[in-house]
Amino acid sequence: MTKEKLQKISTGLLLVVIFGLPLVLRSPTYLHILILLYLYAYLTTSWNLVGGFAGVLPLGHAAFFGIGAYTSTVLYLQYGISPWLGMVLGGIIASIVGLIIGLPTFKMRGAYFALATIAFGEGMRVMVENIDYLGPFNLNGPRGLQIPPLNVGLTNLMFTNKEPYYYIILIMLIGVLAVTYFVSRSKLGFYLNAGGEEPEAAMSLGVNVARCKLVAMAISTFLTALAGAFYAQLTLFIHPKSVISLDLSFEIAFIALIGGRGSIAGPVLGALLLRPVSDFSRIYFGATLPGLHLIIFGTVLILVMIYQPRGLQEPLTRAYHGILNRLAPVSVKEE
Amino acid sequence: MLFVLEDMINGILMGAIYGLTALGLTIIFGVLKVINFAHGSLLMVGMYFAYWAVALSGLHPYLTLIVVVPIMFFFGYYLQDIVIKPIFKAEREVREPITVIIVTTGVWYVLDNLTLLIFGPQYRTIQDNPLRGEMLELGQMLISVPKLWGFFAAILTALAVYWFLQKTRMGRAIRATSLDRDAASLMGIKQYKVYNIAFGLGTATAGIAGVTLVPFYNVFPTVGVLFDIKGFIIVVLGGLGSIGGAILGGMIIGIIESVGPQFMAATWTEGIVYGLFLLVLFVKPSGLFGVRYDW
Repeated sequence: MTKEKLQKISTGLLLVVIFGLPLVLRSPTYLHILILLYLYAYLTTSWNLVGGFAGVLPLGHAAFFGIGAYTSTVLYLQYGISPWLGMVLGGIIASIVGLIIGLPTFKMRGAYFALATIAFGEGMRVMVENIDYLGPFNLNGPRGLQIPPLNVGLTNLMFTNKEPYYYIILIMLIGVLAVTYFVSRSKLGFYLNAGGEEPEAAMSLGVNVARCKLVAMAISTFLTALAGAFYAQLTLFIHPKSVISLDLSFEIAFIALIGGRGSIAGPVLGALLLRPVSDFSRIYFGATLPGLHLIIFGTVLILVMIYQPRGLQEPLTRAYHGILNRLAPVSVKEE
Repeated sequence: MLFVLEDMINGILMGAIYGLTALGLTIIFGVLKVINFAHGSLLMVGMYFAYWAVALSGLHPYLTLIVVVPIMFFFGYYLQDIVIKPIFKAEREVREPITVIIVTTGVWYVLDNLTLLIFGPQYRTIQDNPLRGEMLELGQMLISVPKLWGFFAAILTALAVYWFLQKTRMGRAIRATSLDRDAASLMGIKQYKVYNIAFGLGTATAGIAGVTLVPFYNVFPTVGVLFDIKGFIIVVLGGLGSIGGAILGGMIIGIIESVGPQFMAATWTEGIVYGLFLLVLFVKPSGLFGVRYDW
């Protein structure tokens, strides 16, 4: 058996397992944990388009998540527009905001960019907390918005059980992974990589680094906003502290960084390894050892940055390929 | 009008204390060229040391400086030596290593949540505090006494740090490293030792800030986050690496926060601060009091 064949078989098996999981796993608690895991994998993968490929450190992505959540929720509550449409509209708004923010910030050097995005995210939260009515739209300030679970169904992206949410976010995750894959293989991906590592050198070769970063920002913010709308429909209650929090921005960046920024598998692996730690330590130690999961996050982050700056995906992919090579001992290409 | 003047004065006093909390950030940036995201957490650690020193020994809050400052200096010294130095060694050629930002964020999370784990989420204030709620009457204006002392502490600390950097041998070595670390190394300056000392110095000023805050501020595990974000804004407003700029930047924030609520909802002032910050970043990233050179 060749290595390629093995790789295909293992990928296929993985897909069967994750698609079949809800048939075996009936507990809504565990399904919810998995949904959040996929949601985080989705968010970190979208973040990675800017934070990984473009080589900057955005720490305000929660703002775009919030834009998505608020757009779809406000449109649904006030005008009865399907959250699916609201999702896309939120994505477009987030893209435009992302471009407006990206235009001046991408000129800044490392730390300044991180600080500017933090200020942008926090400023957005303060704004939403202080605004009850934005024009005709009721944002309800710090009290947040609640969606009454009345018209359940696919058109309203609202379900009584967890399984549909599981499949929707899974498909969204696969979609965003496909986008990342194509971006990384496209001219844009190579330009971004070059611009992230050596901006001056890339520019001297005629790469419009600033424009590439803006395109990446537009895609990334669009995708992040879609997840925001999904989250609003999942929890049916959003408020500024939950969807536009600094903690969310940091957690997205952390997971991607620990998994490995700039790679396709990294952010997903990060979510896979860290989300369960956070969920289970909250379930079992939440009362006795508060904040334990964040101590683990922080420690892992420090250790990974010191010993494995390219993230955990590097040793893990190496191990994976090692196993594949072991299973497919001699794959001599016959010409 | 008197209200506005009173708010102005209180804003300047509180602002100087904000400046003091941000002083360490600017010192560390000036030398290491990284923004220490854990700075608010270091301030929080300083506040806890001061709190427990007062609670256990019953000393006057300001006397705890004798204990807190050395502890904080060595805390910062070894934090840099053990946690951050390896990154610098790995990324020697990068001038502003982004990885260090990430590591200091990790330190932030560990410190905050370790404190939460050990001391719990309670808000603590010093019992039988000699300074609590003490006011100075100036005509018809009331001025908080602990904030006044904090103001003096901020000015004195800034002057002392400035003197240290300008006049002592170690200060010269620090300035040399800040200007060009390779050239400084060639002159026989031990680069990493200078980094350790600069980090220790920055952490010690966070300790001073902690002591001046404890008499009138609550102590709780996430208190640092409030000052962290404010600190970033202050140092950028004042110009990263500028000591006087940090104090002035702090005063601007203090004035906005205390005078602003006369004209609008108090929660909006935070938004104005972020807006001003973004504006300065876009228009004049070197800061309002633009420093061309790092020192």
